[in-house]
Amino acid sequence: MAAPTTSTPAPERRRRSPSGKVSFLASQRGRDLTLIWLFLLPSLAIFALYRIIPMAWNVVLSFQFWSPYKPAEFAGLYHYEEMLFYDDAFWQILWNTILFMISAPVGIALALGVALLVNTQIRGRNVYRTIVFMSYPVMTVAVGIIWQWLYNEKVGLINFLLISAGIIDRGIPFLQNFDFALPAVIIASIWQVIGFYMIILLTGLQSIPPNLYEAAAIDGASPAQSFRRITLPLLRPSIFLCFVVGIINSFTAFDLIFVMTGGGPGHATDLLITYIYSTAFTLSKFDYAAAMTVANFLLFVLLAFIANRLAGGEAGAVRREA
Amino acid sequence: MRKWASILAAGAMALSASLMATQAWAQDKKITVVTWNIPYFQDGFNLWVDEFKKIHPDFEVERIDMKGTELPTWYQTQVVAGTPPDIVNIQGGLWLEYASQGGLKDLTPYMERDKDYADRLIPEFADNWIYEGKQYGVPLYVTKTLLFLNKIMMEEAGIDKNPESFDEMMEMAEKMTGEGKSGFMTLNFDWLYWPLFKMNGIDFVNEDLTEAAFNTPEAVALVERLADLTERGVIDKISWTGRWVEPNGAFAAGTVGMLHAHAPAYLWFKSKGEWVNEDTVDSIALPGGWATPNSHSLVISEGSKHPDVAWDFVKIATSGVGAKAMGEGTNNLTGDREVNAELMKYFEANVPAVVPALQTELENLDKLTGNWPFAKDAAIKEAFYPEIQAAMLGQKSAEDALNAAEQKVNRILRSR
Amino acid sequence: MTRTRHWPIHLALGLVSAIMLLPFYWVLKTSLTGENIFVYPPALLPTDPHPFFYVDVWYAIPFFRYLVNSVVVSALVVVANVFLNAMAGYALTRDFPGKAATIMLFLSCMMIPFQVTIIPAYLITAQMGLLNSYFGMALPLMSTIVCIFIFKASFEAIPKSLIEAARIDGVPDWMIVFRIVMPLTKPAIATNVILAFIWSWNSFLWPLVIVRDVEMQTLPLGLSRFLSVVEDTTGALYAFCVMVLVPGLVIFLLAQKEFITGLTSGATKG
Repeated sequence: MAAPTTSTPAPERRRRSPSGKVSFLASQRGRDLTLIWLFLLPSLAIFALYRIIPMAWNVVLSFQFWSPYKPAEFAGLYHYEEMLFYDDAFWQILWNTILFMISAPVGIALALGVALLVNTQIRGRNVYRTIVFMSYPVMTVAVGIIWQWLYNEKVGLINFLLISAGIIDRGIPFLQNFDFALPAVIIASIWQVIGFYMIILLTGLQSIPPNLYEAAAIDGASPAQSFRRITLPLLRPSIFLCFVVGIINSFTAFDLIFVMTGGGPGHATDLLITYIYSTAFTLSKFDYAAAMTVANFLLFVLLAFIANRLAGGEAGAVRREA
Repeated sequence: MRKWASILAAGAMALSASLMATQAWAQDKKITVVTWNIPYFQDGFNLWVDEFKKIHPDFEVERIDMKGTELPTWYQTQVVAGTPPDIVNIQGGLWLEYASQGGLKDLTPYMERDKDYADRLIPEFADNWIYEGKQYGVPLYVTKTLLFLNKIMMEEAGIDKNPESFDEMMEMAEKMTGEGKSGFMTLNFDWLYWPLFKMNGIDFVNEDLTEAAFNTPEAVALVERLADLTERGVIDKISWTGRWVEPNGAFAAGTVGMLHAHAPAYLWFKSKGEWVNEDTVDSIALPGGWATPNSHSLVISEGSKHPDVAWDFVKIATSGVGAKAMGEGTNNLTGDREVNAELMKYFEANVPAVVPALQTELENLDKLTGNWPFAKDAAIKEAFYPEIQAAMLGQKSAEDALNAAEQKVNRILRSR
Repeated sequence: MTRTRHWPIHLALGLVSAIMLLPFYWVLKTSLTGENIFVYPPALLPTDPHPFFYVDVWYAIPFFRYLVNSVVVSALVVVANVFLNAMAGYALTRDFPGKAATIMLFLSCMMIPFQVTIIPAYLITAQMGLLNSYFGMALPLMSTIVCIFIFKASFEAIPKSLIEAARIDGVPDWMIVFRIVMPLTKPAIATNVILAFIWSWNSFLWPLVIVRDVEMQTLPLGLSRFLSVVEDTTGALYAFCVMVLVPGLVIFLLAQKEFITGLTSGATKG
């Protein structure tokens, strides 16, 4: 049957015309479609229950006055007006979130470098992989406190080293400073998520059939050429995936920010997700939090859509003739 | 697209079904008690249950312990699901949000009925849980802020007396400041830093809680001064950014001269700093005696199926032998006056180190501040503090910060 | 690549490793000494290390019970993830009407953070009668979008001729993904196992919300349970974090074997 990875209709047409038995093909197609949807069904059901319906709940809530203690009342666009015109913290936090997102490529580039290096035949590559990956599964409660200490003005290691090296003569209170706090948190979050990027990229590298490189070598391609012609194009879905993960970087960093700064100083390190969470559960303003959830969702989906388009649609699928 | 449509349709159906449903979770004869981050408090809790079973032998008691950061999330989820725990231990001003929206049981009728019990409670502490004339909670254990002095640093700086005014306190702090050392630090969560304002004569809000009163020339001058002291390291920056671990950890490290915190900080930093003992750390009231209470109370959920039974449990836990067990088990004082006298004797004999700190908790009860019963306490905090923080850390001028804060706070006070 | 040119790679990786290890080293050091990390100057070497905090953790909470709970939930999650994600990933490599929309739907679902779904997810789980159950804890994590796309990418790298050949040999369509495709994408399976395990293993807020019974709690909940304000638990906190980390690393190292298989099968010319 036609199982083209490519979305071009060419292979299907090719299969259809020589045989000429359209009705048989149609029933084969029907069975294919049934199989495809059956394969998708369990995952779709889980996402429907735990993502889509809850999101719909947020959408409904964002047009209501509601809290756990009183019945809902229609609110129209009240919360959206509040968000857009009155809550100046929202705009600052939106901007923080965007900065956070923009920083993701730094982590992805670093992870790509590491992934390429640990994908060679060098001794001890397992050790390196494990070390780089290790930051990802460590529970944030403990590392968050360690990062607080690293950045501490008086006793922190980073200031200790900078002062010892004579670069500065007074400690910088990284997490207490409005200009340094967000970059400091971003660095910590890159530290945490780099192992995650690495494992995605490494999986992509591992999936490249070795015979392609062998063939290229026989054709006399240099390592640089085969990297450009084979590795990069075939790694595209993985890189795309890293970018999507980069968009939701702020979700990943939720715990770290909560432990390190709690969003402060001011709202300097608050991201939409931390602000939404505390608005909902600390201030009991679930309705307003829902409006911000919708805004956050729309922004991220738009970005994901653009990323998907830029990657040629289909989540960066590789177009390769069979 | 058909698939999308059917998913959405199914989703909407499931949504409405689940929102309408009520949970058949709770057993008939059971009350659930949620405690706030005291999982180690086991024997005392069992004693409560034993006492309770003497009155209600047919009831089971389910206990759940939560950390403060998770309790609101869990509790409110349970409320939405229609299965709120009957009794909740709540700290600070969190209860106000719930009470003002009708989420908590009004305990006033019970208090009026059980006069004997109500009379045992220290009124200044019990009054902390009154909102619009109704009693919503009773004190489980009580704390308020005080000043811890690092005697070693004071001696090094040649200081041999305790501070008696704000100015004196800051002068001393300045003397103790030096390489890697700062003179003063305060906790900042809830309203714990407010005594610094109050002792300089600044009120947060007018008498009837309808309008901000803090934006005065005196306040601007004070914030400018605090910001300057912070800039010069006299007041540690952690004062304005840290929560619990960071400031107390820094004090435990021995590099901070004075710490404005509430009593539970003492045993915490003692456990982290070997140098801490009765001779090296003094516990005194802040000059002028002002303090912000940060007490814990027990409240009963409006959705409780057995409020009368729950009230009996609350009474046991907050008075008499139950309260004594609470105090001994957590090294705290309670809302019960007589029990506190017994507890002080117990602490003198068994945990003498905490006695000076606890002693301050029972004094200056007319000088409590930072405990206004705002319906939107959390939202006001959230509007006010970031502005003040920006001013303290030199990001904004004191004037701009107080103006912005005033505008935001007033907007919340007027909102629905 | 010749052996003589390995040292720059070691240098680069060594540097990266040092930076990555630094915060972790402090976790380990504190777990062995319990010292106040906010002392000055920073102590680089642990003084008087001892394993007592680890012993403490073991006895302070029903560690073994929580470990069993965590293992059961994680096992459910991992098994479900490998199969469900592989199926969905395979479906997405095929052409069908609505494919672009389905991909966009998946991507959109990634953009919904768990934190905003807590209350409705709780109500739904209650409705299904899954509160306080292993299955209820595992269900939301049983299929993960990142891993679906990892499978999709790996499947697409498989030459179509192989699948065609299998079909001609009479392998039923639904078997192709399990019998032909998955065995060729071991790195993707390994990654799925690792990631699904870690997500489930460290999952905190969800079990917190739906588990009420102390007997059903998982390790991260155990942490929260025994941490308390007034007691000295710093060393124990870090010891706990190390103890929770170890199984994740073991899974990672075990799954790594699959990566090596991929390597030794010839991808050495890069």
